[in-house]
Amino acid sequence: MMYVFNRNGVCLLYREWNRPLRTLDAQQDHKLMFGLLFSLKSLTAKMDPTSAVEKGNLGMPQLPGQGCSFHSFRTNTYKLSFMESPSGIKIILVTHPRTGDLRESLKYIYNLYVEYVVKNPLYTPGSPIRCELFNTTLDQYVRGIA
Amino acid sequence: MAAIYTLYIIRKSGGLIYYYGSAGRMDTNDSLRVASLWHSMHANAISQQLSPVSGCLGIELLQADTFDLHCFQSLTGAKFFVVCESGAQHMENLLKFVYELYTDYVLKNPFYHMEMPIHCELFDINLTQAVEKDRVAFWADEIHIQLLSHFYSD
Repeated sequence: MMYVFNRNGVCLLYREWNRPLRTLDAQQDHKLMFGLLFSLKSLTAKMDPTSAVEKGNLGMPQLPGQGCSFHSFRTNTYKLSFMESPSGIKIILVTHPRTGDLRESLKYIYNLYVEYVVKNPLYTPGSPIRCELFNTTLDQYVRGIA
Repeated sequence: MAAIYTLYIIRKSGGLIYYYGSAGRMDTNDSLRVASLWHSMHANAISQQLSPVSGCLGIELLQADTFDLHCFQSLTGAKFFVVCESGAQHMENLLKFVYELYTDYVLKNPFYHMEMPIHCELFDINLTQAVEKDRVAFWADEIHIQLLSHFYSD
């Protein structure tokens, strides 16, 4: 599965290619995912053992790129890879647990996003993505790396 | 065999019962908050509801830019998690070993009340030994390799 969120938490894109189990309806699912990522980001920024400066309290909103951010986590049934761009666009891929490091793939997908979505004059930022070309290219790429 | 920054043990309800930090203590309140945040994210509600297939038991490994976090959950619900440097190996074994130490020195201690913060000296000593030994072994290997290469290059 794949999610794309913008910095306000609006889910711009959700695609699934194989999802046998679904426990929540789509809205709840998106909100839960965004909330989890937000909390995890602030947790990793706080837990970072190598930072010299003590960060603020746990609840403080972080700018994209400020502080240490996580890039993936794994459970016994799935692996979630995460990337945040400097503009606050978050890309999430949920894959099989034994998948390798997907950071390069996420960067490539971000480039696809820039090419097909941002440069599309008919697209308004902040609204769900409905660009056919983006969807087909994305599908092709993901099936290629799967 | 790499540096371990911190180790936390949290009980089933999510409260922190033990904290070990190799680089000095974090502020107590902060460590409590971090531990309970981790508990809620690891637990049933969140990462398991997002799972695409059934049978998810919670987060095992979290990779960030500068550190990794490994988590081990015992059958009773106690969670052991360790913050170490990226690419550290054998953390799973270390966590299982810490779990054994926990059962030996803490649970079998007749003065220890269940689910309370751990203040058992023997547990502290053995844990520090287990954690430091990894680092010392790593350095000893490094020095050994350097000596050997020096010897063979002459």
